[in-house]
Amino acid sequence: MNPSERPQSYSSENGSNADDVALMRRMVEADETALGALYDRWVRSLYSLVLHLLKDPDEAEDVVEETFWQAWRKAGSYEPSRGAVSTWLLTIGRRKALDRLRARKRSREDLIGEDRSFADLPSSDPDPSIDTEGAELRENVRRALNHLPAEQREVLELGYFNGLSQSEIADVTGQPLGTVKTRMRLAMQKLREPLSMHRGVTE
Amino acid sequence: MSHEEALSELSAVALDAAPSEIASAVRAHAAACPECGPELAAMEQTVAILGELAPAAQINRGRSAGIRSRLIMRGRAERESRSAPVPGPPDIARGVASLTGQGHRITPGAQRPVTGDTKRVTPPAQQPKVPLDVIPARRSINWYAIAATLALIITGAQLFRVTTDRDRMREQVAALDSVQSPTDSLTAMLSRKDSMIAAMTGPDVKVVPLVIEGASEPLGRMMWNRASNDWIMVTYNLRPPKPGKTYQVWLVTDDAKISAGTFHPDANGGTFMHARYAMDRNALRAVAITEEPEGGMPAPTGPMVVAGNA
Repeated sequence: MNPSERPQSYSSENGSNADDVALMRRMVEADETALGALYDRWVRSLYSLVLHLLKDPDEAEDVVEETFWQAWRKAGSYEPSRGAVSTWLLTIGRRKALDRLRARKRSREDLIGEDRSFADLPSSDPDPSIDTEGAELRENVRRALNHLPAEQREVLELGYFNGLSQSEIADVTGQPLGTVKTRMRLAMQKLREPLSMHRGVTE
Repeated sequence: MSHEEALSELSAVALDAAPSEIASAVRAHAAACPECGPELAAMEQTVAILGELAPAAQINRGRSAGIRSRLIMRGRAERESRSAPVPGPPDIARGVASLTGQGHRITPGAQRPVTGDTKRVTPPAQQPKVPLDVIPARRSINWYAIAATLALIITGAQLFRVTTDRDRMREQVAALDSVQSPTDSLTAMLSRKDSMIAAMTGPDVKVVPLVIEGASEPLGRMMWNRASNDWIMVTYNLRPPKPGKTYQVWLVTDDAKISAGTFHPDANGGTFMHARYAMDRNALRAVAITEEPEGGMPAPTGPMVVAGNA
């Protein structure tokens, strides 16, 4: 990936998140210029994610706008102790995108047949000038993702990209619900390890 | 929910793959559990990192600038409304009611919106004066080209349309007679029907057909009784706004675009709006409906859906 295409900053417990938190505080005080600044920092990452989920630029733009507006309205509910601002923003955006995916009411074959997988995730090419720690963390997560057994990865992809519930995943894959739960739990635990090693959210 | 049960569901909750009732129970447990709380937070952060791994895509710069501008404008409008709420008279949407389809309702008086989608917007004194031809819009329409076309259409057909609208309204209002709802204030509704019909058919009524570019038939009409200051707007077959969007009505004068409120048409694309607002009888230049973010905007920013020359 061309470094110039990378987002301007990334989440982590580094300076960039401190800047984001400062912007959030200004948004709580109804400073709309902070909203503009937050938009500039994260629009590319958010748009990349929701476009990857929705495959529709118009809808992706709508979700981007809705996400930042919700961030403005709900800035006071953001708790730094629960994660980075980017985590919060991307979570809001992903949920909104999944809501739209679910609202399309397409056949399950359509859902799982589309190109929404981790297979096409590019290798990280971090720009050393920005957030090296964050880039390293992402690379480690991506590496862990690549080492997941195929059946765990499949469960994760169906849940993450298609918004399927565990019951729906069991239905799609023909696996017992208990098996799906186990695979999802194991997959998430493996992906979570780089985060623990990185800064240790729980430590 | 036991600790073990919550622990086993953390990954599904973090991925939004758990049923809502289970997710709620897990979150309630995690909020008080020193083990599950941090674990859930870590998993949610991991999920967010997965989002950052999505292939980088470049949002259209022009559209992105428009989104950014709208966000800031909405934020500013909200801040100003918080700090200095000003009573605004031209809130036509307060009287929005759907009269098409079944179960017609009209809200008595202009104090209670019929639909939850109807919202008050910034009064004209607070609105920036943005020239129409520089409004950032994805699919902008030449307002004045529409206006010129409409001038020809209006001249020959106005009398017929007024009559048609009057008859239509009479039928709709008459249909109220058959509505029996314990919750509707029928008495108040019926008390208004004569004045509403009069407002639509008086000698001083100006009718503004609302059309979409290229369409042969209007999608609605705004009727302005310049003697009584009644404003009545009806729409037919208006498509629903995009998710997260709403329609906003604008009264365009030479030096202002006055927001007349936001609305969502009913399932049949029908809308009925009624309000009273005094305006100089020669001031109105056009009426337009644009698609805007929920809550409306202090000035039009979105694509124009229909418009009509006064």
